[in-house]
Amino acid sequence: MEQQHAVMAQEPIDGEVIEACRQGDREAFQLLFETYKDKVFSIAVYAANGDRAVADDVTQQIFLKLFTAIRQFRGDSEFTTWLYRLVVNACLDERRRRRRWLPWGEIVATTISTEKRPQERQFDRLEVSEAVREAIAELKPKFRLPILLKYIEGLSYEEIAIVMNCSKGTVASRLNRGHSQLAKRLAHLNNSAVV
Amino acid sequence: MFSKHVTNDISAYCQGELSPEQARQFAEHIISCAKCRREFEEIKFGVRFAEQLPCLVAPETLWTEIEAGLGSAGENSTVNRQWQFRVAAVAAVLLVVGGLGVWWFWGKGFKGQLAAGSWQVQSLNGAPQIGKKKFGAQGRLGVGEWLETDASSRAQIAVGSIGRVNIDENTRVRLVETEPTEHRLELARGKLSATIWAPPRLFFVDTPSAVAADLGCAYTLEVDDHGAGVLRVTAGWVALELKDRESMVPRGAACETRPGVGPGTPFFEDAQPSFRRALETFDFEDDAAARASALNSMLVEARSRDTLTLWHLLARVEGDDRVRVYDKIAGFVPPPDGVTREGVLQLDQEMLDRWKDALEVSWFADNPVLPKAVAETYWRVKNGLTRRVREISDK
Repeated sequence: MEQQHAVMAQEPIDGEVIEACRQGDREAFQLLFETYKDKVFSIAVYAANGDRAVADDVTQQIFLKLFTAIRQFRGDSEFTTWLYRLVVNACLDERRRRRRWLPWGEIVATTISTEKRPQERQFDRLEVSEAVREAIAELKPKFRLPILLKYIEGLSYEEIAIVMNCSKGTVASRLNRGHSQLAKRLAHLNNSAVV
Repeated sequence: MFSKHVTNDISAYCQGELSPEQARQFAEHIISCAKCRREFEEIKFGVRFAEQLPCLVAPETLWTEIEAGLGSAGENSTVNRQWQFRVAAVAAVLLVVGGLGVWWFWGKGFKGQLAAGSWQVQSLNGAPQIGKKKFGAQGRLGVGEWLETDASSRAQIAVGSIGRVNIDENTRVRLVETEPTEHRLELARGKLSATIWAPPRLFFVDTPSAVAADLGCAYTLEVDDHGAGVLRVTAGWVALELKDRESMVPRGAACETRPGVGPGTPFFEDAQPSFRRALETFDFEDDAAARASALNSMLVEARSRDTLTLWHLLARVEGDDRVRVYDKIAGFVPPPDGVTREGVLQLDQEMLDRWKDALEVSWFADNPVLPKAVAETYWRVKNGLTRRVREISDK
């Protein structure tokens, strides 16, 4: 079942944990995995237009790569920005590899909707949530990824700029356009009780 | 007035990414620029949707698959009890947080409510009631709850950290929502007085015939038993809106609303009674001849300060009537450079806004209390705008 929960809970990852990961400590790595798995998986799902199978693969690749690459992490940047740069690159690589992104509706029919109990349908909030996911999936990646980094990961504009290797102004501009496109695509929900 | 358009900064403003000075300039610009306000509304709408994007839960099997992928790469690692304990602790915390998330998510779904949070309410007189319960000195008004006063009770609501609203006798209001990007009350009947020191368009009051959008101000709003209302602004500006109809009401001015029509045309309260009667006829009468006669009367009686009313009428009349209104306004204050007669008559919004900026001088020059610049500076300090933007930027 999908759950919505507080993002950016207390981060237990400190220099000690990262150093242990660099030394190859499996338990420390599992701690790191437990801390970031939901956020990384969420980005992968949204980036893959809701295809959970693809998101599963991408998430695995990210953490496997992280396990190797963390030995090269020197602490020159924040760990989170370094991690999310890996995530963004993996999602973009996956997109390039597949060369096509399935429309959200096709995926939803086989993945997310099958997990819902029938009575859940009656709640406006769920429907809005689903409409938002669909609208997000229709955004171009350059507008979609900043929105995911902002709302799933809770990164600041500056952190998003570092992750996406662009200026803070570009982040602001892309978020503006992303928000604007979301508003247009979801205009039919303007009078919804949940908005 | 900060004249450069601020559309590129709208998301950054909504998310507290601007410096206090930038946020102040943004807020000032939004008050006066209809173009940026429209985009601000749209992007704010998008922000509110994006905020509902849920964080998903990774499959339980993921770690097993990753661990298999790791193979023997980490077999020589030191497994110490401290890490095992910390993994278990993190897993437990995530489980609890996830559980609370589910509880919150479904709890809200059942109640049909969006926002957590409530406002503190203080009784000013008698025993107001929240829902069906009367309260003594203090109570809390939750989202979706009604606050009601009778003939002998009054109350004051603390609107989060952005202002206060006094509720007069025989009034019924509901807290619709309280979110970082929007606080909204519904006034079903009665009278409230709001003093808001937040950036523009953070506080709204829904009435049966219009929505009052705060633009950094103080005002009173009354709604009668038939849903008709009147807004009186004592400081700053308030926008009274319904669908595409918008009336910008500055301090010293008022605006009436009617069910089925929406906001009428704003007028300064020191306008001649005959001018006000004519305006009421024009705004709310169905009879075309009566409306035409009322327009004629207004064009004869209008003072320089009544260009507030005439400027709004430009978009509410057509053909020759619009030309006559244009000529009347231009007789008081000619359009500034770059604003053409043709552009205004075609309702070019940018030209209309620029002319309004020029007209504002005459709207407030007659004010015997304070010169506009002094009054605005006074209000800016008083309403704590700077304090509010600092709060946002500190988040």
